[in-house]
Amino acid sequence: MIWQLDLLFFVILVVLAALALWVRNMMAAVPILSAFSLVVAVMFAALSAVDVAFVEAVLGAGLTGLLFILLIRSTSERADAPTPPRHRLVVLPLIGAFVGLMIYASGGLPDKGDPMAPSHQRVSPDYIEGSVPETLTPNVVTAVLADYRSLDTLGEVVVIFTAGTAVVMILFERPRRRRREHGGATT
Amino acid sequence: MIGEYRGQVVQVVSVLMAPLMMMFGLYVIAHGHYGPGGGFAGGIVVGVGVILLRITVPRSVSMRWFPPAAARVAAGIGVLAFILVGALSLVAGGAYLDYAVIDAAGATEPERRYLGILVVEIAVGLAVTGVMISLFDTLVGDDH
Repeated sequence: MIWQLDLLFFVILVVLAALALWVRNMMAAVPILSAFSLVVAVMFAALSAVDVAFVEAVLGAGLTGLLFILLIRSTSERADAPTPPRHRLVVLPLIGAFVGLMIYASGGLPDKGDPMAPSHQRVSPDYIEGSVPETLTPNVVTAVLADYRSLDTLGEVVVIFTAGTAVVMILFERPRRRRREHGGATT
Repeated sequence: MIGEYRGQVVQVVSVLMAPLMMMFGLYVIAHGHYGPGGGFAGGIVVGVGVILLRITVPRSVSMRWFPPAAARVAAGIGVLAFILVGALSLVAGGAYLDYAVIDAAGATEPERRYLGILVVEIAVGLAVTGVMISLFDTLVGDDH
């Protein structure tokens, strides 16, 4: 990836993130967050992670915005309670220190696509070489997700299912209970 | 606002788009061996196709076409199918989720793994689609 383009994307991301925090109307923050996700999706695509890119485009830029709008409609559009100045004195240095630590630590990361990186030394070569002869699957990512590491994928699916079921069970009860209370008051 | 968009252009375009999106999602699930994506990505695209219809065409149509109960059932079937494939390989005497030991009509070991991956991708796709549509239906709130 061209570093000028990289830099441009990062600047856009920071501006969008700041803008989303700055607007007080949350309905206005939703499209800003969607745009943020879209830029992230483009960056994933530029890193040749196409599958992650289009999950981010569909889910982050599309559906999440819709779910946010649904939630805001049933609560309030205003983002109340701005941070008091006293808290800012504590929070800002903390954030600064954290960002500084991250930038310092990023110096120790291996280069993008470096074949000698520690994460490419142990099992990756086996997966990459074994994918076609062992599973007839040219897409190594699929072979890793659905075969070599399928237990992890099962865990992910169970987490998604459990989270979804929990949300459905919590919210599904709401209107019914309200109706019952209403019925109790009239009789 | 949610349920029917008052504008024929949006309705017609989304009716034309939704089947294409779902078809593309199914393609991504089935083509996971060769192209980018698989169960997660494809399942999400299929789910978004259903949700697009939910927010544009009249609810009576979109709910009959893909009932909320079907989404919850699909999510359950997806997770169960995944667990069951693992259990099958346990019964066949191998490790959990080791597809190669499942006897599938004379297929060689790599072919069994290939089929196992396909089944698992479809299961993941079902689960993801079902959970997404259920989440949307629950947040909209008037599906019962």
